[in-house]
Amino acid sequence: MSADEAVEESVEEPAAEATKAGTAHTVEGDAILRIRDLDAGYGDLQILTDVDLDVADGEYVTIVGPNGAGKSTVMKTVFGLTTYMDGSVEFEGNEIHGLAPEQIIREGIGFVPQTDNVFPGLSVRENLEMGAYILDSVPEDQIEEIFDRFPILRERQEQKAGTLSGGQRQMVAMGRALMLDPDLLLLDEPSAGLAPDLVSDMFDRIDRINDAGTAILMVEQNAKEALRRCDRGYVLVNGENRYTDHGEALLGDEDVRKDFLGG
Amino acid sequence: MGTTESSIVDAARGRPGLLLVTLLGGLLLVDLAAKLAGVSVGPLGGSLSTGRLGSNLWNGLVIGLVIGLAGIGLSMTYSILSFANFSHGDLVSVGAFTGWGVAFLVAGFGDIPIRTLLSVRDAGSATSGDIGAHILATPGAVLLGLVTAFVVTALIALALDRAFYKPMRDRDGISILIASIGAALIVRYLLQFAYGSDRRGVTASVEASNLAFDPLGLSVNAHQLTIVVAALGLMVAMHFMLQRTKLGTAMRAMADNKDLALVTGIPAERVVTATWIIGGGLAGASGYLYVLLRGTIQFDFGWLLLLLIFAAVILGGIGSVYGAIAGGLVIGIVFTTSTIWIPSDFNEAAAFAVMILMLLLRPEGLFGGVSTA
Repeated sequence: MSADEAVEESVEEPAAEATKAGTAHTVEGDAILRIRDLDAGYGDLQILTDVDLDVADGEYVTIVGPNGAGKSTVMKTVFGLTTYMDGSVEFEGNEIHGLAPEQIIREGIGFVPQTDNVFPGLSVRENLEMGAYILDSVPEDQIEEIFDRFPILRERQEQKAGTLSGGQRQMVAMGRALMLDPDLLLLDEPSAGLAPDLVSDMFDRIDRINDAGTAILMVEQNAKEALRRCDRGYVLVNGENRYTDHGEALLGDEDVRKDFLGG
Repeated sequence: MGTTESSIVDAARGRPGLLLVTLLGGLLLVDLAAKLAGVSVGPLGGSLSTGRLGSNLWNGLVIGLVIGLAGIGLSMTYSILSFANFSHGDLVSVGAFTGWGVAFLVAGFGDIPIRTLLSVRDAGSATSGDIGAHILATPGAVLLGLVTAFVVTALIALALDRAFYKPMRDRDGISILIASIGAALIVRYLLQFAYGSDRRGVTASVEASNLAFDPLGLSVNAHQLTIVVAALGLMVAMHFMLQRTKLGTAMRAMADNKDLALVTGIPAERVVTATWIIGGGLAGASGYLYVLLRGTIQFDFGWLLLLLIFAAVILGGIGSVYGAIAGGLVIGIVFTTSTIWIPSDFNEAAAFAVMILMLLLRPEGLFGGVSTA
């Protein structure tokens, strides 16, 4: 083993002795998002079975798992984009399944889809304005806040979003979802399609959004990095809960590592 | 120099069609110049007065603006609802009949029975001359008719959406396209039932309505000017609506990506409603203005015009509002200037030939890939 690999190993193995990852899928006390026994899918095809998932206020939660495990389906179901079958999805104490996306946004949830997540023919500023469509007037102070968060967008505000680089588009997409200052932000694979050197910048930005008080529920292919950064992680397999624990604990678990994180 | 030449040769090798079209276009231009100069060399040249060329171009511009105005709605429904609306041409007719009914009512009120006036019929002894609808004689009536054409057609378009297209919103484009052909037939034959099938004169001829522009030897009449002013006004209003208002931005957003618009919280049905109102209204206005140009009306003229509208929209790049306007102008000008070379019976064929060439050489159209923007 070379020195480099040894260093990497030590980073990836925060818990020196591997422990068994937890399987308690719910949190004690108040969760802003509370999913219980959720069955959902597309048309007749059921993807999720009895999924439980909680996100506490201000918490940073990641869903990882193999391809086809239903990670994105959980997120889309929260947003009312799949076929709901059974169970409950409560947000801040209100049942939200069956609401139109427009109403879910009003409840305080923002969603950044994985691909095609900007309007290419609209300028950066117009993309952000569309994020606040349900308000009567454009919230200029919120646009300023997003420009402070992503300064490059202030420079490019009149440019069409379709002409931006992948990383900048991802900023526009996040900025749009933050326009209404949501309590919970859903991120579907934010690092997908980004050049490797931009990935950690992207995760840093997500950290800062979370530090400012917004709870995050994220699906991510880049599972190691995601688990290292998040508060808690869910491992989903075949549309069912498998493990749930603190991110570091999942990273340290031998079974999780072997089965889902590539050793 | 060397690189330029070789790149031209490469381009010609890669796209021989483009080379052929360029050569043909060049030949036509040379021929046109020879005709204007009164020189004839073999099959080229002949004689053509600048006045005739000028009035061909002017007429093309006027027809082009009418076609472009009608094309805006067709392109909008294509980009936002993803189907080619074959009932659009009959919405053009709806605007013409309802608008001119009201214009007649205002212009001829008193002497002629209201029912006759509303049905755009110069029944009995009354002729279109007696009613005297003309922009110079009865400007108020003509303008009120234009507003009526816009409003009534917008409402009919919206009613068709609620009755046929809304229940089919999630179906594929082909099913809705077929439904729209059915809707077109219903509208066309309701118009025939209500207004009759005869072709009739509408506008009165008013002396001194021709304004001659001498330097060009061009004669421009007041109705053509009305069309140009009204059509340009509506197009500019459309541009500001799309670029400067929240609703217009939402329309462009929906044309870009419907799924994203949904998760962004843009209320899709409200945007769709606005699309029908604006697209239908503009179709109605264009039908009304087209009658101002032709002077006559008949129940199926919108349907016949639809092919040219489609040609304009496809030429401009289907889905683009600005493309529809540009395509309308190209089709209009080809339509009228082609009579310099070919008999006027074939000028529609020339317009379609240009559309087909465009599809072969630049399939995305003039403004291709730029939806509503």
